[in-house]
Amino acid sequence: MKNFTEINNASNEKSAALPRRKFIKMAGASLAILSFPMSSAFAFESKKQTVKNKIVWVLLRGAQDSLHTIVPTFDPQYKVLRPKLSTSFKSPLLSLEKGFALHPSLKNLHAWYQEKQLLPIVAVSSGYARRSHFDGQDFLESGKSDIDHDSGWLARAIDIKQKRALAVSRSTPISLRSSDSVNTWYPSNLKSSDDDIYSALAKLYQNDELLKENLEDGLEVRGLVGEQKRNKKKRQGKFIDLTKACAKLMVGEQGVDCAMLELGGWDTHNNQGTRLNNKLAELDNGLAELKAGLGYEWQSTIVIIGTEFGRTAKENGTGGTDHGTGSALFLAGGAIAGGKVEGNWPGLKPQELFERRDLMPTTNSFSWIGSVLSQHWHFTKQELMQVFPQVKAYDHVLLRS
Amino acid sequence: MSQNSMSSTVINHSNIAVNRFGYGARGDELAQAKQDPKTWIKSQLLPIFFNTTLPHSNDVFIEHEKYQKQKKQLKMQQQKQLENKSQSVNKMTKNYARSALRDMSVDTLNQAIHSSHSVSWRLLDFFSNHFSVSANGRLMVGLSATLEREAIAPNLLGNFADLLLAVEQHPAMLIYLNNEKSFGPNSRMAKKRNKGLNENLAREIMELHTLGVDGPYQQADVIELAKGITGWSVKRQGKERGEGFVFRAYGHEPGSRKLLGKKYSQQGIMQGSQMLRDLAMHPATAKHVCYKLAHHFVSENPPEPLLDKMEATWLKKQGNIKQVMFSMFDADEAWLDTAQKFKTPREFVISTFRVLGLNKMKDKAILNSLTTLGQQPFNAGSPAGFSDDVNDWLGASALMARIDWSTMITGYVKRKNTETMMKLAFGENVSQHTYQSVMRAESRQQAMTLFLMSPEFQRR
Repeated sequence: MKNFTEINNASNEKSAALPRRKFIKMAGASLAILSFPMSSAFAFESKKQTVKNKIVWVLLRGAQDSLHTIVPTFDPQYKVLRPKLSTSFKSPLLSLEKGFALHPSLKNLHAWYQEKQLLPIVAVSSGYARRSHFDGQDFLESGKSDIDHDSGWLARAIDIKQKRALAVSRSTPISLRSSDSVNTWYPSNLKSSDDDIYSALAKLYQNDELLKENLEDGLEVRGLVGEQKRNKKKRQGKFIDLTKACAKLMVGEQGVDCAMLELGGWDTHNNQGTRLNNKLAELDNGLAELKAGLGYEWQSTIVIIGTEFGRTAKENGTGGTDHGTGSALFLAGGAIAGGKVEGNWPGLKPQELFERRDLMPTTNSFSWIGSVLSQHWHFTKQELMQVFPQVKAYDHVLLRS
Repeated sequence: MSQNSMSSTVINHSNIAVNRFGYGARGDELAQAKQDPKTWIKSQLLPIFFNTTLPHSNDVFIEHEKYQKQKKQLKMQQQKQLENKSQSVNKMTKNYARSALRDMSVDTLNQAIHSSHSVSWRLLDFFSNHFSVSANGRLMVGLSATLEREAIAPNLLGNFADLLLAVEQHPAMLIYLNNEKSFGPNSRMAKKRNKGLNENLAREIMELHTLGVDGPYQQADVIELAKGITGWSVKRQGKERGEGFVFRAYGHEPGSRKLLGKKYSQQGIMQGSQMLRDLAMHPATAKHVCYKLAHHFVSENPPEPLLDKMEATWLKKQGNIKQVMFSMFDADEAWLDTAQKFKTPREFVISTFRVLGLNKMKDKAILNSLTTLGQQPFNAGSPAGFSDDVNDWLGASALMARIDWSTMITGYVKRKNTETMMKLAFGENVSQHTYQSVMRAESRQQAMTLFLMSPEFQRR
């Protein structure tokens, strides 16, 4: 209990003031010249710095079960709490240090681990102590002690360092709200309209600020990705397609510094063995595609993978797990000093569990993310206060020297 | 959201009645509502009936059982045959479930498009989303669309408690949130077969369906409610007679329960039912559901006096949904004269088809529209349903998709007169700027696209 309240101590922060538009301005483009193609939009900026340190934030929505993902094979309680689930793995676990092991579906992640490009962190929490998915996600995205639906931690971070971000989503998720330097992209199977429609709408929206801004952003991204090809048969929004497109929008001179991806389907109240088998493979394959797409820029990239909270230590009556507390965070990428397991293992005995049911969190997700920001994007303590007002970064060295 | 980003065109009461509360003008509805908008909108709140030729949830179970049987038989045949035929069986039942889902989803959309009392369909969609179920997995594909038809529509204008009970006892909800196999740890079932509790449905009942996430409940209450509804299950095809809901007494947790400080010593199914009835009338539920209604129909930030009036009606009238809606229509705060909401994709698509009077759209085209705009029916993917928040719908990528969709649609309606359409949709409530932009468009198709994408049509 003590650990938990410590990492949860917090202060109040009011919503950030409404920002100016920056995405377009930074591109040096005004609406008048906004037409296809926008090839050299960000060229002026990239000359200053050839390799940009990139961050990809992957949010797993639905409470990913860390105990089924990073298995504590050394803990005798594991099999006691999970008699069915602990025997549900279809192939051998992939071993990590200290007796932990990865789920067999995470083949690529395990290869990264062996190349010291993956750092799993066990028993973390954002400090959210209840068990609602939706509040839990909002809390993790907002990064403040009180949920602010209009401002996210990643948005505040990119504003401080004047970076640009892309959300692979139809609209902006909370993590990236309150910044002007954010754009969204999501695949569509519709044929693009003619340019004159967009120009006519740009004029039509002159008195409607929000519609105008979103049209500008939409045109901007389309200029970068190119026109949509109509593809009727393919299912939209498969994770592997999203990560592939995400990488495309991050590389090269025009690439964004930062992106956010989301993957749902982790709420495994039943049939968890089979469901996570497939779901983790989907995640693993998607991330492999991201790495492939980033090419040599993977070396300067950190991927942060997190979820709103963990699941009950004990399996429930229907072959699954219910909403819990402590979960895991993954840091990956060429810039990470991985190949080890971070975090303090709290144990799985009844008195070691949070409220005698959930994995006890021993470190704070925001502090870990804060460390990434200070080491990878050179945030000062004062700057970090604006991103995560209630926590401090850890001193652990996370970057490859 | 900032005030200055709102469209500032002043809109009159008939326009509000038709566009804010209903699904947008169809034919001359603006003229019909003009005389007395409030009475007109109240008279629109009518019971909803469904086409009974479409599958019932019982049929879905029967077909599912057929599939299971055939699969079993095939397993006993030779390996080679198995490979060939199992594919065809698989296809067959998938087709049944998928066409059930498609036909029912389109039926609801079509009725909303052609209805002369569209506010009733808005209300149905609201509660269908409030009690959101997703078409995940073979059985849920067939079942998900039956919930609104069998449990929600019949109770739409009645008391919330009846609606709540009908929903939580419907097979679609019981299976979606895993209650059908949730059994009391001390029940005979658990002892004999090593089965146990699943708290998923109980948590979402309190968090999403009734009290709300900020409601006065604890983890202990979640478990107490979960135990109270243990044994609320679904008949197993081929092993039990009939289909649908069943209460399994031998799976119910014995003894009395304590929920939100109140003791429930009822036996059997009455225990959970009474718990739900009390939850339905809890002030936190009134507050939560009234806020969601006002946030859906009226404004991103519903005015306090409006919420007060609706909540008071809820508590005074036994959570009668029709009375609560009337109190919303009666409140001046619901008739703010500038646009307050950005249409969801569903509202946008339905209102587009209504105003254009498109009758020949193929079922597939209607469904694809919603899918491509991000609101595929019964695919919210979360029991919280689709968001009603402007931030979740008005994004750059979302807006581009709407523009491209509008261009596609207006390709079919080149012969319609845009000025007439604008008149039907807005009456006199269109800004000079929009009017001129549309009228000066370079082609009929472009004019129609600009009209559909205008702030006046996108917002309500």
